[in-house]
Amino acid sequence: MLASLKLLDLMANSSEAMAKQWAKEVVKNPKTPYYHNSDQDKIIPQAAEFYQKLSRVYTDKDPFTAIKGFMGKFAEARFKEKVPLHEALYSIILMRRHIWLYAEFQAIFISIIEQHQALDSQLRTILMFDYITYAFTEKYWELMNLEFARKSKK
Amino acid sequence: MQAYAAKLIDLIELKAEKIAKQWAVDVRKHNRTPSYSSLPLDRVIERGVDFYRLFRQMSLADVPYEAAKTFSWKYAKECYQEKIPLQEAVYALILLRRNLWLYAEFQGVFTSALEQQQAVESLNRTILMYDYVSYQVIEKYQEMIQNDVDKNIGSIKLVMNNPISSIKNIYKSGLMGILILVACILSYYYHAILGTGVIFTHLFYIPIILAAVWWGKKGIFVAIFLAGLILASHVLFLKAVPFVDDIIRALMFIVIGGVVGWLMDGIKKIEDMYKATI
Repeated sequence: MLASLKLLDLMANSSEAMAKQWAKEVVKNPKTPYYHNSDQDKIIPQAAEFYQKLSRVYTDKDPFTAIKGFMGKFAEARFKEKVPLHEALYSIILMRRHIWLYAEFQAIFISIIEQHQALDSQLRTILMFDYITYAFTEKYWELMNLEFARKSKK
Repeated sequence: MQAYAAKLIDLIELKAEKIAKQWAVDVRKHNRTPSYSSLPLDRVIERGVDFYRLFRQMSLADVPYEAAKTFSWKYAKECYQEKIPLQEAVYALILLRRNLWLYAEFQGVFTSALEQQQAVESLNRTILMYDYVSYQVIEKYQEMIQNDVDKNIGSIKLVMNNPISSIKNIYKSGLMGILILVACILSYYYHAILGTGVIFTHLFYIPIILAAVWWGKKGIFVAIFLAGLILASHVLFLKAVPFVDDIIRALMFIVIGGVVGWLMDGIKKIEDMYKATI
């Protein structure tokens, strides 16, 4: 767990910079066409907030409950914006990639010991994003079904 | 294919069935994938083997993303047919990836310092594969839901696209005005000149039904007007003829106009729902 703290610090202190890099990619990635016409000033705070919240739960013993809470709100917001589910999820995948790209760019894992820490950090990050993916998909799917049921009742 | 990933790919190729069995046990009892508990073990294992064999296919492909589709689409179709909720289908993929990694760790594939670096690279590769597959599975799921919606309300599309429904509003009003005028002329001709109440009133159903189709419940005003017309015409010109027949006719106009209008409003709601989903 201790080895992951380096990445955690980076995420907490550089959330804005990471979010900016993410925004640059998501607006041109072929798998996220919804975002291509998005205003970067609008989407950067979304990603920065995401990184901030993630950094707060990163070392929790049971991060799933907290992740479920903030990802539920994140899913609601994306659902209201009518972002297709697969694109929203891919934008989250890109957020994860940019944590790592930023860490590589900052060269925080260089020595052999740090390489070991890198693997540890990566495994922790993946675990977090596994929970994020599940919580996000579950909420979005629930909202889709509710919307369908609500319209059917009308 | 990068050399560092070869070790992992070889292991997966050789032990695909064994890893798939471990995954099958895990996924069938995991609290985030309850739908899998009722699936036959053989079928679950087969799905796992398909996933693990995908590694080799993707590593050999010029465009790995395209190669992943062979597995992703099949997986999505099967899960969808088995009514597995999307989040469970995605979590089962996560477990597939985790079991692969657990097996590699358990086998001590990456132990030395150099191998630790290889491990990071191999891990990146498995994650990339998972990223592609999860994206494609979710996309396919949404596509299948859309197809289901299309199939279920295909008849609504027929109503939406039929030439009667798609006439412009100005023409609808114009045509309705003409039909009502014809109804007035017919009423006068039959009641005042011929002095009879024969079947001409059946023609009134044409404007009544058209009004209901075009304007839903609001179309009932046309039925009410025509009902009023035959009753007034009867009072004015057919005093000697019993009133009961025309009262029944007038009531039927309103009932038919109301029922068709109510049904059309229901179809309109489904139409709106359909448009919202596409």
